[in-house]
Parts: sequence; structure tokens; C-alpha cells
Amino acid sequence: MIDSKQAAAALSDIDDIVRRVRQSQVYNLASLIMIWWGVLVFAGNIATWLWPWYAAYIWPAVNTGGVLGTVVISALLQIRARLRAVDGRVVAAYVLFYAFGYFCSDVLGDFGPRELGAFWPIYFMLFYVLAGLWFGQAFVALGLAITVLTLVGYFYVMGGTFLLWMAVVNGGGLVLGGLWMRWN
Amino acid sequence: MADLDDIIHQPLRLRIMAALNALPQGTGLEFSRLKKLTGATDGNLGAHIETLAKAGYVDVEKAFVGKKPQTTVTATAAGRGAFARHVAMLQEIIAGGGGERA
Repeated sequence: MIDSKQAAAALSDIDDIVRRVRQSQVYNLASLIMIWWGVLVFAGNIATWLWPWYAAYIWPAVNTGGVLGTVVISALLQIRARLRAVDGRVVAAYVLFYAFGYFCSDVLGDFGPRELGAFWPIYFMLFYVLAGLWFGQAFVALGLAITVLTLVGYFYVMGGTFLLWMAVVNGGGLVLGGLWMRWN
Repeated sequence: MADLDDIIHQPLRLRIMAALNALPQGTGLEFSRLKKLTGATDGNLGAHIETLAKAGYVDVEKAFVGKKPQTTVTATAAGRGAFARHVAMLQEIIAGGGGERA
């Protein structure tokens, strides 16, 4: 026998599970993309530390690889899990993201290598935090943690060591964050 | 008016069906993922999945990924239909305002 209170409780239970399933699907996709970006950013920072004069080639390669990887991972998951994860809006979002970042760092401002090294991760993490407001607190926690550690590095880690710091904080942080999402 | 579906109405089975129903048709969830989502123990979850499978509400597929066994549970068309009817019945009870239903 069941009354309206019990029926409402059952429906609320259903809503809770549906929300968790959807969040887990978002985390599943986002975690793979984060690990991919983390590996690229780690490699990019190490490569820039080793061969700083090639930075102008290294970072466009990292960003291009990141965007292509995002599209490929999303498309593969879309096929496997029948999720609608990638469409023209994802590509448009990346274009707008990079256009605005370039506008700020190269047109409005004249950032040096150190400023660029801090600006792009912080700018990237801003979107993680914003996405987290809708898709789950893990994004907010990760975005804030990497932002704070990036600022600590920018103000207190001097010279070329800053690149190593960013390799660990930004690259390592994204990989660990992605793995954490998969385990949880 | 139809009665509530006793097979689905049990709280853990309701959660299992809700989780599977939230996925696109033909897509399943791995046992370990379902366990995390529902908060059930291995034995409990296994027993309730078996009940749902016997009723024809879910398909259970066992495979090996590398050397690890992997069980995937998917809602059948009959299961999705039964779940939809069950949810409609719950909504009807709420709209009816408190009358008890078997």
C-alpha cells in the first residue's frame, strides 16, 4: 500500500538517480578530455622549459592537439554511448574561447611568457568553474585549486622553474582531476 | 486504473530501473557503475538485477574486458514501458491526493 507521500518520495528518489546518471555521463566524457589536456599541457610546459625558443610552435601545437583530441574523444563516446556530446557549438565555443584569450593577451595586453603561462590556465579554469555551477562541484573544486596554485607559482616561483611548476600544477592537476572523476 | 508494479516498486529495483531508463535506449550500465549510483552492496544488487531480468525488464550481458569479467545491465523495451507506467501511476497517486494504492 502506498500513499501520496510515499509516491512523492519514490519520484524524488527517481529524480535523484537520474541526476546522478547524467552527472556521471558528463564526468565520464569530461574526465577523458581533462586527462588528454593534462598530458598535453604537461608535455608543453616541459618542452618549453627544455627548448624555450620553440615556445611559439609548442603551444599552438598543444592547443591544436587539445581541440582535435576533444572532438575525437567526444565523437567516440557519442558513438559508443549514444550520447550527444559534440556538435558545431563545441567547436564554436573553442574558437570564441581562443579568440577572446588572444584578444586579451596580445591585443589589449602585451603579455610576456610568464604572464601568458599564468593567463591561459587561469582563463581555462574560469570555464571549469562556470561549468561546475551546472555540471558538478568537481569542476569548481578543480578549477579553483589550479587557479590558486597557478597564482602561487606566478608570484612565488621564479625563473624557468615556473614552467616546471605549471607542468605539475596545470598538467598534473588536470590528469589527477580526470582520474578522480573516473574513480568517483 | 492499474496497480503499482510490485517488481519495480521495491526501492532498490526502482533505483536500478531509474538509472537504466535515464540512458539512451540500448545503452547499459556496468555493474560497478550501477553499484556506485544506487549505493547497493554486490550481493543485494545482484539479487535485484536477477529479479528484474526474470521479469524481462533488464538484459544482463557478461563479457571479459582483458582478463576482467564485466557485467553490463540494460533496460529492455518491456522494462522501459513498465517503468514509464509505474512513474505515471506514482504521479497519479500524488495528483489524487493521498489515497492508498496496492
